[in-house]
Amino acid sequence: MILAAAERAQTAEQAAGAAATVPKDPAMAAVTANAETFVMMILLTLLAAITLAIIRQRNMFGVVILASIYSFLMASVMLALDAVDVAMTEASVGAGISTVVLLTTLYLTGSVEYPRPRSVAIPLFVSLVVGAALVWGTIGLPDFGIADAPIHKHVAPTYIEYSKKHEMPPNMVTAVLADFRGFDTLGETTVVFTAGIGVLLLLQGGWRTSGNSRRDDEDNELDIDGGEA
Amino acid sequence: MEMIADAISWCLIVPGCFFLVTGALGLLRMPDVYTRMHAASVIETLGATLLVLGLIVQAGLTLVALKLVFVLALLFFFGPVASHALAQAALHADVKPVLAEDRRSRNLDSGPTGLAGSKEEPSP
Amino acid sequence: MFYVATGAVLAALMLAVIRAIRGPTVFDRVLASNTIGTLAILLLASYGFLTDRPEFLDIGLTYGLLNLIGTFAVLKFFRHGDLAHDIAEDQEKSRWK
Repeated sequence: MILAAAERAQTAEQAAGAAATVPKDPAMAAVTANAETFVMMILLTLLAAITLAIIRQRNMFGVVILASIYSFLMASVMLALDAVDVAMTEASVGAGISTVVLLTTLYLTGSVEYPRPRSVAIPLFVSLVVGAALVWGTIGLPDFGIADAPIHKHVAPTYIEYSKKHEMPPNMVTAVLADFRGFDTLGETTVVFTAGIGVLLLLQGGWRTSGNSRRDDEDNELDIDGGEA
Repeated sequence: MEMIADAISWCLIVPGCFFLVTGALGLLRMPDVYTRMHAASVIETLGATLLVLGLIVQAGLTLVALKLVFVLALLFFFGPVASHALAQAALHADVKPVLAEDRRSRNLDSGPTGLAGSKEEPSP
Repeated sequence: MFYVATGAVLAALMLAVIRAIRGPTVFDRVLASNTIGTLAILLLASYGFLTDRPEFLDIGLTYGLLNLIGTFAVLKFFRHGDLAHDIAEDQEKSRWK
């Protein structure tokens, strides 16, 4: 999913670079487009490198730190795409909370991944086929941010007209989230709530039992310095 | 007036960029965690300070310059604290530094580039 | 000139990422993570000036704080295995030995 999103962002970027930001005059438009493409290409390459390193790494503490680096780089990518609020959320969730929560998990379980017993031919083939299908699907999408995509000509004007005529919340974004797409919001809140409760149950149960067993068990040490490159 | 501001910010930004790249290169090439921390702190203090000062000169007397001053103060004060915490944590976890005697003894075994004239025993 | 600044920050980012991937101990990776956080702030500043939109510097302040607190949380975790660990308890226990 990460790789597909990166592919999509890169395709969209190379398809219509200047339409993404709002430049102040035509001379700046060319500069902005070039700069954005350049920065995005390098950042996406670094993201791919970090992802490969996460897959190959055996020591779990190293994986957690690499995941926090991934979040910082992803926040920079979102900044280059002009989505500043999403970038801040990504940085605080990925590099802040998620790292700490993963480390808590590692304290409760072991910290070295066991080697895989079987070959990887079939899973690799399946993921290559699915990834190729996703990329082929995104080619059919309209270019990023142009003015006559269907979503700008049919969906958005309908929402705007409807929320002006009828008794909707004055903020149109709230109207879309809570009225037009209310079922999506309901599903999302259910998912987040369930995930939170599940995590709390797991952590509370594991904390009590694993804390006692850790003091007796000699082999269960925090294996920090190990791991090959 | 703009030309003077441009000249000053060129003179500040280019050394800043040089120190950024040098620090990152040191981060890559140094043999040990502790020496890499020395190289990385060059990025946070010299590189960041010169670069942000150059950007402040470009921004003039606006709100953006004030925000840049805050960013600079943050990097300047938090960088050494993080390095200190990292060094203490590494020491506590028994990460041994690579000492000069170890490297010299390795050179002695490896042929004509070592200290050919001395009769030192390699340290245990 | 902002091209030079952005290019240098990106080059430093690449080298720091290589160190994060290669570093044998985990403290190398924490050091690389701290450096990448600082370089992300500098990238934000120089990219904002490059595209003539320097209004995103507030996010840089957030990144700086997150970077520091994240590094401290990770290091505290490596040392004690617990974020709520009380150092005064350790000192008391060692005093009564």
